Amino acid sequence: MRLRIGVDTGGTFTDVCAFDETTGAVHVRKVSSTPDDPGRAILAGVSELLSQVGDRSITDVEYFAHGTTVGTNALLTHSGVTTGLITTRGFKDLLELGRGRRPHMYNPQADKPVPFVPRELRYEVTERVRHTGDIETELNEQETRDAVRALGEQGVESIAVCFLYSFLAPQHERRVAEIIREMLPDVHVSLSSEILPEFREYERLSTVVTNAYVGPVIFRYLSRLRERLAEDGLSATPHVTQSNGGVIPFATAEEMPVRLVLSGPSTGVVGAAQICAAAGHPDIITFDMGGTSSDVSLVQNGEPKITSGMELEGRPIRSPMLDIHTVGAGGGSLGWIDSGGHLRVGPQSAGAYPGPACYGHGTEPAVTDANVVLRFLNPEYLLNGQMKIDREASVAALRAIGAPLEIEPEEAALGMLRVVTANMARAIRVISVQRGYDPRDYALVPFGGAGPLHASRLARELGIDTVVIPEIPGAQSALGLLMTDVKADFMQSKITRVHRDKPEIVDTAFSELEQQAADWFDEENIDCNDRQIVRRLDMRYAGQNFELPIEVPTKITDAEALATIIDQFHVAHERMYGYRLENSVLEVVTFRIQAVGASATIELTRSEMTDADPAAALDSVRDAYFDAETGYRECPVYRRDGLNAGNRISGPAVIEQMDTTTVLLPGDECVVDALGNLVITIGDDS
Amino acid sequence: MNTTAVTKTGGLDPVTVEVIGAAMSTIVEEMSETLVKAAFSPNIKERRDCTASLFDAAGQAVAQDEGGSPLHLGSLMGIVTSIRSRFADDQIHEGDVFIGNDPYTGGGSHLPDIVLATPIFVDGTLAAWAATLAHHADFGDRGHAHIFQEAIRIPPLHLVREGVAQEELLQLILLNCQVPEEREADLRAQEAALRVAVTRFGELCQRYGTATITSACDELLDYTERRTRAAITDFPDGEYQFEDLFDCPELDDELTLKIRIVIAGDEMHFDFAGNPPQVRASINVVWTGLYASVYYAVKTLIDPDIDPNAGLYRPIHIEAPRGSVVNCEAPAAVNGRSETCQRIVDLIMGALADAVPTRVTAASNGANTGVHFSGRDQERSRDFVYLETIGGGSGARSSKDGLDGVQVHMTNTSNLPVESLETEYPLMVEAYELIDDSGGVGEFRGGLGIRRRVRVEADDIHFWLDTSRQKSQPWGLFGGGSGASAACVLSEGAQPIDHGYSVLKSGDVVSIETAGAGGYGEPCGRDETAVEQDLRDAKISADTASEYVKSQGSEK
Repeated sequence: MRLRIGVDTGGTFTDVCAFDETTGAVHVRKVSSTPDDPGRAILAGVSELLSQVGDRSITDVEYFAHGTTVGTNALLTHSGVTTGLITTRGFKDLLELGRGRRPHMYNPQADKPVPFVPRELRYEVTERVRHTGDIETELNEQETRDAVRALGEQGVESIAVCFLYSFLAPQHERRVAEIIREMLPDVHVSLSSEILPEFREYERLSTVVTNAYVGPVIFRYLSRLRERLAEDGLSATPHVTQSNGGVIPFATAEEMPVRLVLSGPSTGVVGAAQICAAAGHPDIITFDMGGTSSDVSLVQNGEPKITSGMELEGRPIRSPMLDIHTVGAGGGSLGWIDSGGHLRVGPQSAGAYPGPACYGHGTEPAVTDANVVLRFLNPEYLLNGQMKIDREASVAALRAIGAPLEIEPEEAALGMLRVVTANMARAIRVISVQRGYDPRDYALVPFGGAGPLHASRLARELGIDTVVIPEIPGAQSALGLLMTDVKADFMQSKITRVHRDKPEIVDTAFSELEQQAADWFDEENIDCNDRQIVRRLDMRYAGQNFELPIEVPTKITDAEALATIIDQFHVAHERMYGYRLENSVLEVVTFRIQAVGASATIELTRSEMTDADPAAALDSVRDAYFDAETGYRECPVYRRDGLNAGNRISGPAVIEQMDTTTVLLPGDECVVDALGNLVITIGDDS
Repeated sequence: MNTTAVTKTGGLDPVTVEVIGAAMSTIVEEMSETLVKAAFSPNIKERRDCTASLFDAAGQAVAQDEGGSPLHLGSLMGIVTSIRSRFADDQIHEGDVFIGNDPYTGGGSHLPDIVLATPIFVDGTLAAWAATLAHHADFGDRGHAHIFQEAIRIPPLHLVREGVAQEELLQLILLNCQVPEEREADLRAQEAALRVAVTRFGELCQRYGTATITSACDELLDYTERRTRAAITDFPDGEYQFEDLFDCPELDDELTLKIRIVIAGDEMHFDFAGNPPQVRASINVVWTGLYASVYYAVKTLIDPDIDPNAGLYRPIHIEAPRGSVVNCEAPAAVNGRSETCQRIVDLIMGALADAVPTRVTAASNGANTGVHFSGRDQERSRDFVYLETIGGGSGARSSKDGLDGVQVHMTNTSNLPVESLETEYPLMVEAYELIDDSGGVGEFRGGLGIRRRVRVEADDIHFWLDTSRQKSQPWGLFGGGSGASAACVLSEGAQPIDHGYSVLKSGDVVSIETAGAGGYGEPCGRDETAVEQDLRDAKISADTASEYVKSQGSEK
């Protein structure tokens, strides 16, 4: 009778997925998202899914997990709350000054991000800590009270506090928090020493301000959803995905909202990682192509790569998050000819309206139109017939940009696909090659509506030989949620020189963090057998300013264990930068612990491998255009839901399903695996 | 496939060129990332005062990292040509790394910019060059009467010969540096970036074939040239002039800088006749710096998306009298050349205001305010040289306010975090803030200047300030007001600044203020809510606000 439910809210659809622990069956439901109140679609989806499963009620749900874009959207649409800021005297403008660079080197019309706290809501108080952590000047409490009173009168709902060196001496920030809670008990408080105890004042400030700005929005969303689920009868603790890919209870997430800003996209990556690991592909590059942009990330040994921060619209956010790189290239990206006669694609997008020309409103060619012209996409309808396609409109749009280049619409369409593929390959090189990983060692895993259309071409561009397409690319995020571990990160910045003969220094620093992790495990009621600790050191040569993460598998108890770590650093440095400095002093900058509570294992149902012939799934044959030499050629079109495990398809071929279309180029070989994934071996010819 | 497209050079279709161009850009980005991450000195690792570039075999710039500084474009412009004029083809081998910094014999546009360059051989043939430039913040407490005082001069020489490090040369260079450990580590970081280029370029050639890559490079330059010419054609033909006063702490008198621009069809001519002769101070500009400034301004005005490669240079013609401050000859000192370069850009903006009023900006803060502290750090038992360049106001635009407190035009370095600075040097930052009311009034307000107050925590600290706009104000356009001047104030009892220099003792406080920027359009046209918001934010004073109100009243 026990069910696990995962819900992923996307821009267009909300996917709900249930795993029945008694039967091992997976059920999926897709409903339209309700952006004005995302909870409505969630509740509707859950209820529809439960009736679909039959004979089940929400009280049977023993695990509920959710990925949300509420935080990201609040940031992108600037719909956070009125926020105040208190800083060390002399530094209230740091939020605007940032690192001093202008937003675009050559474009004088580019603007800096508008600060989330306007200058009139930024106050300075007298206090100063030295770089050693010693107090130079005590906190002036009277000034603090004056500032808090003024902010109260100005109607702030949230206050961020960021003092210099608060990661070394948090007492001044803590005292300010006490004063705020005493004077303005309803105001949300964010301290930089709690949100991000790391050095570099601007990055810390920007992060704590982000937390303060979206915190109340996320808090309200989660607490309201929690109440509504409870009213409907959910007794299990609801969980939400953090930017680091782990899930935590709503209640814990509400304390550190900034860690949810990438909840939505990271849910997709974790889903892909889980599904592909189960299918025997632990090393993958995910490629989520939507309408206006594509997200890419790298997963090694089933674990998505983590980074310690990102910039969102020019504002740094430092928090542990999956290393997801976004590029402005999607199905709606428009093709155009620039003044030098080059065919370009994006960053302008057709958006939801007018949309690609084939939707009937626009005249400019989008990437989708290129796919329609070449008949990779169904030239008559999409979404199982729900959306009509006007191929003539696509042809006209492509003819228009092909004219100045004196090429036919089909060649212009192929050109657009090559350019957009190059743009996406560039994004993937950032998260692979530039980080020291060779993309050829990874399988490409496309999802999102447009991913599987472009995957084979993109794989060729990168020299990747395997593409894995999950059974339901749209719903895999929701499914992945059911297999995600509970995770929390603990960190402490403390620049510490590493001496071979003093291994205990490292261990002492970790002990404090391990205690915090142990307390957290207790709070979360995680069974002792499911507890895992991952220790990581951010290390560098003394004098450098960027660190490399080094995993510490065991406790550092003796010089030998420390020597192993030191050696690992040299190796990592050499791999990254091509040299090592054996005689240099090493420093640890940040000690990190990730506490992981393993989730219940899900055994996905594996089908018997049947015979190789896919004929039963053959829908039709249509002429499609793969290259200029051959021109149009006959291409079989298969229905994805008619394919069975073991079926084999050779390219060229098209495989259609409700929410996506997969293209096999000539030479590609595809087999349906026991979990229903399409596993494509890329052909040699390119 | 797809070879029927219209082509101009080498039989390559535009799509292939576009694809290879994207790969080239990725390579220079990766070079730059490697350099910043592996570097040791704060000026590179935190402030990113460095650039990476790829050149074709003949030395034409094909791709440059856009995270770097526009001024570095010029510094790298002559490097390959200089190496090739010094070394015959049979003296250039696979595995060589050249080093150079001398503005007069090839290398940077001032001595701290040390360039490392390597030839890239594919199958034994020279196919391309890669170069990195890094500003090595060293050479503190120097004179600037002529270049021999400014630092060691290095013509292009082998630092590595066929993979073998030339230890003797390195030792000579390091002995002439004040912080040799940093220099050595930073040079290694530059070499690491070059290795990235060699590997990645090789992979690219393997994938597409060297001949394809070479013709793609040619086509990329032609393509940029076509776009540049197309954009210039949109500018009204004519002759445009402008002049402005230039001051710096080293000079007693102000100089008059001038420019004449002729736009004819798809070409632009920049004439610097009539500029003052070079001076016995650091602000002279070598030709590479002048060219970089003009190219920057052109790219900014015509199309910021045009690739910064040598194709951009072709429709642009520059003339400047030899031996003048904008085209100096040896042995003129050049360390503070960026002050002048900033003003060359302002001159171009001013001259073209009537031609392209919606593209230009009012005068920006007009300086690249360099604050140099150097001396003995007793607490950490080491010598140090700390350089920070402070931004200021950016000029108002035809439809928007100028940016407050940013790096403008020829520089775009990051600031050094206070928490990093104080950990490394005997200095304490007391304030880092915008200067209220320092932007010029106008329908669109000029950007605000920056105040940075630094307390010295050791004795005998040499201080040098190179800046500009202390004696004049950044001008507004079309009725916009001027921004506030720059200033530098010392605490009581500190040794007064003489021609930009002082020696400070523990407890002295230096307050550096950079200029605001000019406004755009008549103040009476300013939106009332913008005035109110500026007043609430204290970005303007009550007096300024009432001036706006008065001007609007008189209008009504």
